Amino acid sequence: MKDVIDVMELQREKNRKIQPLDYRQMDFASGFTPARFIFECGMKLQAQPLTIATAAILMHRFFKEVDSSNYDHYLIAASTLYLAGKVKDDPLKIRDIINVAHNTLHRGSGPLEIGDEYWNMRDAIVQAELLIMRVLKFEVSIVHPHKYMLHYLRTLEGWIGKEKWSNSPIARTAAAFLQDYHHDPSILDYPPQHIAIACISLALQCYGITLPLIEENEDEMWYSVFVKDLQKDKHWEIMEKIMEVYNKEPETV
Amino acid sequence: MESKLKRYEKIEFLGEGQFATVYKAKDVETGNIVAVKKIKLGSRIEAADGINRTALREIKILQELSHRNLIGLLDIFGHGSNVSLVFDFMDTDLEVIIKDNTIILTTANIKTYMIQTLQGLEYLHLNWILHRDLKPNNLLINGSGILKVADFGLAKLYGSPNRLNTHQVVTRWYRSPELLYGAKQYGVCVDMWAVGCILAELLLRVPFLPGESDLDQLTKIFQVLGNPTEENWPGVKTLSDYIEFKPFQPVPLKHIFTAAGDDLLDVIASMFVLDPSKRKTCTEVLKMPFFNNKPAPTINSKLPLPQNVRKLKELERPSLKRKLLDSAEGGTLSKRLFT
Repeated sequence: MKDVIDVMELQREKNRKIQPLDYRQMDFASGFTPARFIFECGMKLQAQPLTIATAAILMHRFFKEVDSSNYDHYLIAASTLYLAGKVKDDPLKIRDIINVAHNTLHRGSGPLEIGDEYWNMRDAIVQAELLIMRVLKFEVSIVHPHKYMLHYLRTLEGWIGKEKWSNSPIARTAAAFLQDYHHDPSILDYPPQHIAIACISLALQCYGITLPLIEENEDEMWYSVFVKDLQKDKHWEIMEKIMEVYNKEPETV
Repeated sequence: MESKLKRYEKIEFLGEGQFATVYKAKDVETGNIVAVKKIKLGSRIEAADGINRTALREIKILQELSHRNLIGLLDIFGHGSNVSLVFDFMDTDLEVIIKDNTIILTTANIKTYMIQTLQGLEYLHLNWILHRDLKPNNLLINGSGILKVADFGLAKLYGSPNRLNTHQVVTRWYRSPELLYGAKQYGVCVDMWAVGCILAELLLRVPFLPGESDLDQLTKIFQVLGNPTEENWPGVKTLSDYIEFKPFQPVPLKHIFTAAGDDLLDVIASMFVLDPSKRKTCTEVLKMPFFNNKPAPTINSKLPLPQNVRKLKELERPSLKRKLLDSAEGGTLSKRLFT
């Protein structure tokens, strides 16, 4: 069987404990992106999941346009969080963002005093926000895969049947793949509908679930009812890209 | 970026709002007249909060929309620490027209204004966006009589059931009873109430419900429609700011709008309903008999314009002729070049 991704490898590593990362030591050449920093800060700020996803996409779009070595990655990351809060009407206070970002970079440090350092950071975030807007030509609206995924999963629930559905966490796993895929800039290269399908496909494979009443063949896949324009090899390509994200994950000691 | 600044040649200052200054400008590349809205980011204190939320909403929403009856966002550019939005240039707005007593608003004229407003708004609502600040001076009109809904600084996506909204939206005179009672979950009905107020204002030529405070606003509403009860508005008492008013007798709408025909009164009545869930939507209102009955709506170019715009148009006409002549001469010149 050539069409199989080794999902068991993931399962084996499942129980490891995640150590906090020292972001200041990270090397961006190996494919590490500030997305992890965005997700960590975003969760600490209790931002909505779509706000965090927006920040990650804005960050990838920005670094696609510029030479990334000219910018401080974490400043840009903090600014995209601030901007995403505005785009998604999810009010994130700039002072909270500064304190959370600072504490995440310098673990164990307390909140910043209102002083030069604070004001400089605040100024830098605001300036970077405007720069991001201009580099992105003010196009800050994003169509996320999330809403498509929700719709597809709802349909699958009925398709697979309630009992089988509740036995394996397909929805949760697919959502996890989608969130993790936000670490990789290749997320910008595919339509949101296709990404949603690929995440669900991976989740189905993880739990070895096949859909009833469908014969999969060359031109008819389970997802043909949802998207008409997803070729089999593209579908495969996206799944591989999602799996690669886990290979790029930095080792924590 | 520098070239963008030069692309729009300032013609005159148009106005200043809380967050922006607006200029009339000429697009040097196309020759079109546009309105440039420069978002204020000048002072240090404002700059420390970064890009203005109102401006960002407007950018985000208008970039995704395109409709004949919605203001068009043509371009955006940044210079220094400023952001400027470039819009279609509009000659006047509905408030000016309502207040201009040299203008007669016939039923046919009102029909055209209403159709355009409702069609623009219908498109907006179908895209799950609420305007939340409809009032006559946000309905802009150009020299050809095209009406466009503008000012999306308060516009917001709606329909998400787990999301609470603020009730502090919409200019008070156009604010619906559920907002005044503090509703945090609402839909297109808040825009429909405002459209009802605008229609009433087109007929009366003065604001219909000019409340002086939020309480006075509710009083003015109930004086016309009578008090809300659990029968005519189930659930009204559960709203956070609900208070009981002394009883008022509803006034028949035809006593207020004496000049309006029955079909028009039906339209007004369909939007002035206390219970938001019973208010008609844009699509439903547009299907009402009034819009198919005679008189036919005035064609756009025949709509009345305020005096100052009329004068301007007359002034512009000869210059247009000259332009044609110029180009004709230019044509002969180029021909000569070839010989």
